[in-house]
Amino acid sequence: MATWKIDQPQKLTFERVRRLRVRTVRGSVSVVGGDEQPTLEVSELEGPPLQVRHDGDQLEVGYEQPWWPGPLGWLTGRQRRHLAVVSLAVPRDCEVDLEVVSSSLMVSGLRAPVRAKTISGEITLAGCAGQVEAETVSGVVLAHGVAGDLWANTVSGDLTLVEGGGTVAAKTVSGTIVLDLDAAPVSDVRLTSVSGDVTIRLPQASDLQVQLQSTSGQVASAFDELHREGRPALRTVRGRLGTGSGRLRASTTSGHVALLRREDEDGEPR
Amino acid sequence: MSPVFSHGMLRLYLLKLLDESPRHGYDVIRLLEDRFMGLYAPSPGTIYPRLQRLEAEGLVTQSQEGGRKVYRITDAGREELRRRQDELDELETEIRSSVHGLAREIREEVRGTVRDLKQELKQAAREIRREQRHENRSRRDWFGDYHRIDPHDDPQRAGAHDADAAGSRLEGRLREFHAATDQLLRRAYLTEAQLRECAAILDETFQRIRDVLRDKR
Repeated sequence: MATWKIDQPQKLTFERVRRLRVRTVRGSVSVVGGDEQPTLEVSELEGPPLQVRHDGDQLEVGYEQPWWPGPLGWLTGRQRRHLAVVSLAVPRDCEVDLEVVSSSLMVSGLRAPVRAKTISGEITLAGCAGQVEAETVSGVVLAHGVAGDLWANTVSGDLTLVEGGGTVAAKTVSGTIVLDLDAAPVSDVRLTSVSGDVTIRLPQASDLQVQLQSTSGQVASAFDELHREGRPALRTVRGRLGTGSGRLRASTTSGHVALLRREDEDGEPR
Repeated sequence: MSPVFSHGMLRLYLLKLLDESPRHGYDVIRLLEDRFMGLYAPSPGTIYPRLQRLEAEGLVTQSQEGGRKVYRITDAGREELRRRQDELDELETEIRSSVHGLAREIREEVRGTVRDLKQELKQAAREIRREQRHENRSRRDWFGDYHRIDPHDDPQRAGAHDADAAGSRLEGRLREFHAATDQLLRRAYLTEAQLRECAAILDETFQRIRDVLRDKR
């Protein structure tokens, strides 16, 4: 086992990293999957030194003192000093677990499971093929090309998922959800919002069992194959597209739901 | 201070930004933020003193325009920039060759793609909602969907009751908005640029509400 105390911007390389755990407070954490040697770059640092631990194939980055300031402690400003801008290059099959207070998080190019959790930071996910779990309170979640199963949760942040596939479970209280699904076989999509709008766009040919509903918002669909239910309010749209092998469910309390159809390559609408 | 800007590189970068065009201090901060996303978050407290120092060195000049300070590069400033162009290029390559530079580029890329697409889909969603709202209206005698009926659109159904209900809903939303925004503002430390942006959003919102109401008359 090896440990480092990092008190100034620095770069470290490692032989083998299969599991990564980062616990920081403020700043940013970026993890890029690739074929190069595992590297840790700390490019900005304020406050106490970062503690780095490399044990076998596990790499941990955090603070010596418990990083978690306790309930509401982060509001008192005591943690404001803990700033760290951390970037890591890891193998594509490295499991990643990030948990921070206000740092923004970025993870890209991984096949292994990813867990990203922040209170007020933004989460950016790009090209992840493994299971992804993203959670933020007030930050936004941006996912581009997440082919693996995605579980995303926010309170007030917007969720935007582009070119996704696999299983998607996204939940928010007041944020909006925008999902642009790829032609890739989609197994199961479940979107839930209380007051934010939900917008979904599907390819021309989709094989989905669809159910969209809202308590007091408007539900609109560009697919004539789907029918409206729930008189007198017309707030459920249900039906089957193609073979109906996958499932798409979206529900809101007061947010609107819109299901759009992607135009063909030649620009033919609907 | 960010390691990226050790060896006085921030100074050079400021000159570079001013060489592109004269700018306000907060423009400079915003541009730095854009180009070094995540790596360097400049604060007015770091940038303004540096601009003043550059002015003292005779590399930039400063003038008041419309109540704000505008900074311009001088010939001496251009000369300094040209002399150290290599260092500046090196800085930019360095950023590109590091994990951090790479990560930043990926993030920028995703942000750009996602932002455009989000706009496009939201616009499309608004259109389809508007379309289908009209359809629903024409069918409401069968389905009885009275929700969201605007009495102004349909004078026959315009009852005082509907208008009152809609009015109080809107008032409720306005109160919620005020409370929520207030809470956000209390918590945040606002930079001058953020303050201006927020004010602009409020102005725009008010104008759009006014336009909507004007249309309905």
